[in-house]
Amino acid sequence: MAVKQYPKLQETLLHEKLDNGLEVFILPKPGFTKTYATFTTRYGSIDNHFRAAGKEEVRVPDGIAHFLEHKMFEEPEGDIFSTFASQGASANAFTSFDRTVYLFSATESVEANVNTLLNFVQNPYFTDENVEKEKGIIIQEINMYCDNPDWRVYYGLIEALYSKHPVHIDIAGTAESVRSITKDMLYECYRTFYHPSNMSLFIVGGVDAEAMLERVKANQAAKTFEPAGPIERFFEPEPAEVRQRKIEIDLPVSLPKCLFGYKEEPAAASGEAAIRRELATKLMLDALLGASSPLYQELYDDNLISDSFGHEYNTGPGYAFSVIGGDTKDPDELLRRVSDAFRAAAESGIAESVFERTRRKKIGAYLRMLNSPEAIAGEFTRYRLKGGDLFAVVDLYESLTLEEINARLREHADPSRLAVSVVRGSGA
Amino acid sequence: MTSEQFERGSIGRMRINVLPTKRFKTFALSLFVGIPLTESRVTPVALTPFVLRRGTSSYPETISFRERLDDLYGAGFGFDLYKRGDYQIVQLRLDVINDRFVSSQQPLLREAVAFLGEALTSPALENGRFRTRYVEAEKTTVAKRIEAIVNDKIRYAAERCVEEMCKDEPYRLLAIGRKEDLASVDADSLYRDYQDWLSNAVIDLYVSGDTSLQEVLPLAESAFKLPAGSPQSYSPPELKAPRQEPQTIVERLDVAQGKLNLGLRTGISYGDSRYPSLLVYNGVLGAFPHSKLFVNVREKASLAYYASSRLDGHKGLLTIQSGIEIDNYEKALGIIREQLEAMKQGQFAAEDIERTKAMLSNQLREIQDSAYERISFDFNNVLSGAERTGESLLADVQAVTPDAIAEAARGIGLDTVYFLRDRKGEG
Repeated sequence: MAVKQYPKLQETLLHEKLDNGLEVFILPKPGFTKTYATFTTRYGSIDNHFRAAGKEEVRVPDGIAHFLEHKMFEEPEGDIFSTFASQGASANAFTSFDRTVYLFSATESVEANVNTLLNFVQNPYFTDENVEKEKGIIIQEINMYCDNPDWRVYYGLIEALYSKHPVHIDIAGTAESVRSITKDMLYECYRTFYHPSNMSLFIVGGVDAEAMLERVKANQAAKTFEPAGPIERFFEPEPAEVRQRKIEIDLPVSLPKCLFGYKEEPAAASGEAAIRRELATKLMLDALLGASSPLYQELYDDNLISDSFGHEYNTGPGYAFSVIGGDTKDPDELLRRVSDAFRAAAESGIAESVFERTRRKKIGAYLRMLNSPEAIAGEFTRYRLKGGDLFAVVDLYESLTLEEINARLREHADPSRLAVSVVRGSGA
Repeated sequence: MTSEQFERGSIGRMRINVLPTKRFKTFALSLFVGIPLTESRVTPVALTPFVLRRGTSSYPETISFRERLDDLYGAGFGFDLYKRGDYQIVQLRLDVINDRFVSSQQPLLREAVAFLGEALTSPALENGRFRTRYVEAEKTTVAKRIEAIVNDKIRYAAERCVEEMCKDEPYRLLAIGRKEDLASVDADSLYRDYQDWLSNAVIDLYVSGDTSLQEVLPLAESAFKLPAGSPQSYSPPELKAPRQEPQTIVERLDVAQGKLNLGLRTGISYGDSRYPSLLVYNGVLGAFPHSKLFVNVREKASLAYYASSRLDGHKGLLTIQSGIEIDNYEKALGIIREQLEAMKQGQFAAEDIERTKAMLSNQLREIQDSAYERISFDFNNVLSGAERTGESLLADVQAVTPDAIAEAARGIGLDTVYFLRDRKGEG
């Protein structure tokens, strides 16, 4: 067991890698009523072509990681939500590009709930019948997103940016791909990706950390897992250029929705260098596009953007891109103004004072985030998957330099790798 | 649950509520300004916080206003507009980190109170009224917000259902106002409405963090320049009976999925002693994944991805929402009505009540871990005249009997069925 102290943040973290390979992290929050736990597998929508050690190479239908997430909640004795409810816990799960997360929050019976979390995720129960039944539910979920213009414009951008990398495939798949999923495929994915050595457990809240760790160890020691070798994931080579410059989607909206972004080389290394690059990029984007930037105010004054205007930076295995935009009356003009601003800033550089103010804002936002156990759990796991440490973020921010930010700007904003996605009604 | 208690005071018209706590890394400030929801005032009141966030007398340019927030270690400033009971509430929020986590030269709590006070009571002016440029730009922003509601079909269907149910009451209005009113608003009229608003509204300032009433009072006193007066109170909402025969409204838009929303009237609001029974009723019916709606509409019939109920306790309304295949309208509505009937007949298992109570208790305890949720919970008392603590509501929920649930159920009536569907076969 390792105990790490973060005196500046007044946080203490316990960590142990168990014999079966499971990584366990516990962050006690003295005085907190609630405990929040996440059980995460490094398995998301992009893992659709792989080989488990000693097995055949397989390709699986789109949306299967998400389907599996839905199906995990069914146990032979019924729906696991009822068990959590009896123990006063609110449970949920989500699937992203590179991970699937099962979670609960509870203020009582925390040990029982941790056991339930571990047990239900480690006990798959798929039948032909229950797999068939789930398809109707997931197809309604897909239809719900189909009517959601924010989701459509976001996916439209990723589709415009990527031609080979599976990040451009909708996490839930399509009605057709979902219909093709069988019980046997689910078991195969389960056996490959739900081995403890591919998973981590994070617990944060008002717990006795050492006692909790012992409980988790006892739970895991009572189960046997075949040793698992490394998982090979295959990604077709992704061309440097974008798949298409522009995607237009016809859906009725009050104002066109426009998102654009730059595709860049994915970070070569994981670990601190990758995290540093991510933080530097986000700071750079905020300095140029944030609500206190001159550009933001000009675009707002010219009625080209509204409060929906924003930006993000998304990286993972084999992909890295920015997402910029929002609702606008004139997508072409907005794109022109922002890309011109990137070009001008790449030449002139970001000013020292802007850099300092933005850094201060980022550090403040980070510290405010630490009030929320949910946010800590989500972010901690995300950083961990990238080989980084959430609690080292302030130090990283403090060590960033203006030169680094400006270099990041010039590297990121390559006009030849810019794509745009627009949703508008054909009547508009 | 906790020994931390709110400390109360007042300055003129404004009540001050301070929660001393060392649990959080921030100071959380929240300001609630409430006024009865009316057709004539709803739009200027909605527009006001949009204009206030453009600048203050010390930071009249929007960029300087936002840079100031960045300088306060990225203080989180925002506002919300909502309906609570028969009131339209404007909430301003400011979340700033406690100085002890950064090497700050400035006392951040003092600066934060000063900023919030100025944002509400000393806006940027020109010629004794709001700046025309800000008012005109924010009119456009509000109009866009109103128009954008239809983009999110889940939200749109929910708003439309309440609008149809409450079409003879002010509650039909959106908290963000009416687009058609915006044209007649100008910098002059809005400034007069704003002054009238500050003179008549119920105003509550909340501060939570490592501080005390004693520390906050003088800070607030110098930061807020409010009209003279004494603290006002909120009145209980008017609770209408459901219509004799439920109405059915079908609306057609270009959608792939149908949205089925039901509006019910409960006759019970937050201040009522039967409110805990209503909470348990809502939990057994549809608030959780173990509830009847999720189990029967989603898990058993595979008709929907979401099927749930939601309680608007301050107005005594209960709504049900689900996204379904359009052809399954009758089937889904039939299953939902069966669940409502089962509730009336007292057909619910003891274990479903126990699960619901466990989930509600969890939600009530969780409130302790969030400064803003503790503030919201306390503000529910201010709004309703109730005197609940987390502990007392928890005990009341635990004491709810099956008979009390069935009794609440018998007072609940279906008023409106709203269905948003596609344009196929449109006549």
